[in-house]
Amino acid sequence: MKKKRRKKIHKEAKWPRVISFEEREEVLSFWEERFGIPPETFENYLLLSTAKNYWLFVKPPELRPLQNLQVQTVGLLFTRRVSKWLKPTSTALQRFGHLATKNIVELGPLELDRLRREKRLEFEADLEEGYVIIKCEKKIWGCGLYAKGKLISYLP
Amino acid sequence: MGTKMLELSEAPAYFERYRKIIPRFEEFLEHLKRPLPLYFRLNELKCPQEEIVLKGLERQGAKVFPVPNLPRFFRVEPRDFPLGNTEEYYLGYIYPMTLSSALPVMALEPQPGEYILDMCAAPGSKTTQIAQAANDQAVIVANDRRLDRLTALVANLKRLGVASALTTLYRGEVFPFGVPFDKILVDAPCSGEGRYRQGYEGELLYQKEGHTNLPAIQKGLLVRAFDLVKVGGIVVYSTCTINPEENEMVVDYLLRKRQAQIISCQYPLPHHPGITEWEGRVFHPELIKAARFYPHETESVGFFVAKIKRLF
Repeated sequence: MKKKRRKKIHKEAKWPRVISFEEREEVLSFWEERFGIPPETFENYLLLSTAKNYWLFVKPPELRPLQNLQVQTVGLLFTRRVSKWLKPTSTALQRFGHLATKNIVELGPLELDRLRREKRLEFEADLEEGYVIIKCEKKIWGCGLYAKGKLISYLP
Repeated sequence: MGTKMLELSEAPAYFERYRKIIPRFEEFLEHLKRPLPLYFRLNELKCPQEEIVLKGLERQGAKVFPVPNLPRFFRVEPRDFPLGNTEEYYLGYIYPMTLSSALPVMALEPQPGEYILDMCAAPGSKTTQIAQAANDQAVIVANDRRLDRLTALVANLKRLGVASALTTLYRGEVFPFGVPFDKILVDAPCSGEGRYRQGYEGELLYQKEGHTNLPAIQKGLLVRAFDLVKVGGIVVYSTCTINPEENEMVVDYLLRKRQAQIISCQYPLPHHPGITEWEGRVFHPELIKAARFYPHETESVGFFVAKIKRLF
């Protein structure tokens, strides 16, 4: 019988990896195509990866000295890979979402309350299906999913 | 380290030893009977328009006033307004913090591209202030020795949307060498005397030293920070206590052990020079360039700040 592979936790190897140019292009293109946020917005940041998460971290003059530190967290959780899709985190949208030009859902305070409470709303809008930015009275709350006439909350 | 409630009636006896160094001592004692005003710092990393925050808080019944000479700081009335329960807090637009707590980072003057270590960082008011000051472009190592406190720090970094910090869990005294730090903040654990004042319950809260030798810990942290920073770099040492044994005496220890000088700073709050003599001990004359802040003069927490340059 084939032995089941278990993922090992390496306490000494917590530094996330710097992703390849191609992978970076893929993640930043998603932000540009989905929300209209240009890749230059993130030119002073590295994209790092742990398992299915991408982290945004300021580009240091040199990374190597920092990599000798045993770290707990590095940077801001930016994007997740959910099956074959990329999903922006609410934290990252709250930080950079004001630069978005599309796929923004404006809710009134009562609608927002309902969405946060019930986690999904019947919702019709002239939007492409997929992840959206939830905004209410100029404040960006984070990530939602618009699909099949419903708005699903991914707000923390 | 145990905590003990200090009754307000005990305060005059407790602080009597500082009568000669605290200006207008009676006024100071009287001031302790008043609760601390409520302030917050606006986080422009997440909130590009301050109007959003100001109008939002006013709609919830708060009155908000800008603090003169301290950009991004606001005073809130009433002072028991639950800032922590607001949308503005939840979304990371604000960080409630007392005014004098902003001074160490002002002395640090963080710049984009610098490697900065915040040695005792949790819960993160100063780390996030450093990130803001450098427009999220300094490389910040935010360290704390306790995991529970580090958890609070990580939550605040996330809440404020900081992407320029990494977190570590070392004992500051043995933080590893290898990163060419330009600047280091040692906001040291202290007896917290600067915070003593009448709480809403009518008592003063303080942490009793017990068997913990705070000055020994503080000296260990400061010396390590000095050895970690690059030559020509800056270490800012701060505490929220009045006690010279945790302030000037700690910096004096460093000045005698290492090639360092204290740099004078401009601060937007009233302050006094560091003292150069205490209970018969004479300190290094450089200490006159350190700064003491008192609660009754700043409407805030008492603080000590020394900006130290590594010469060799």
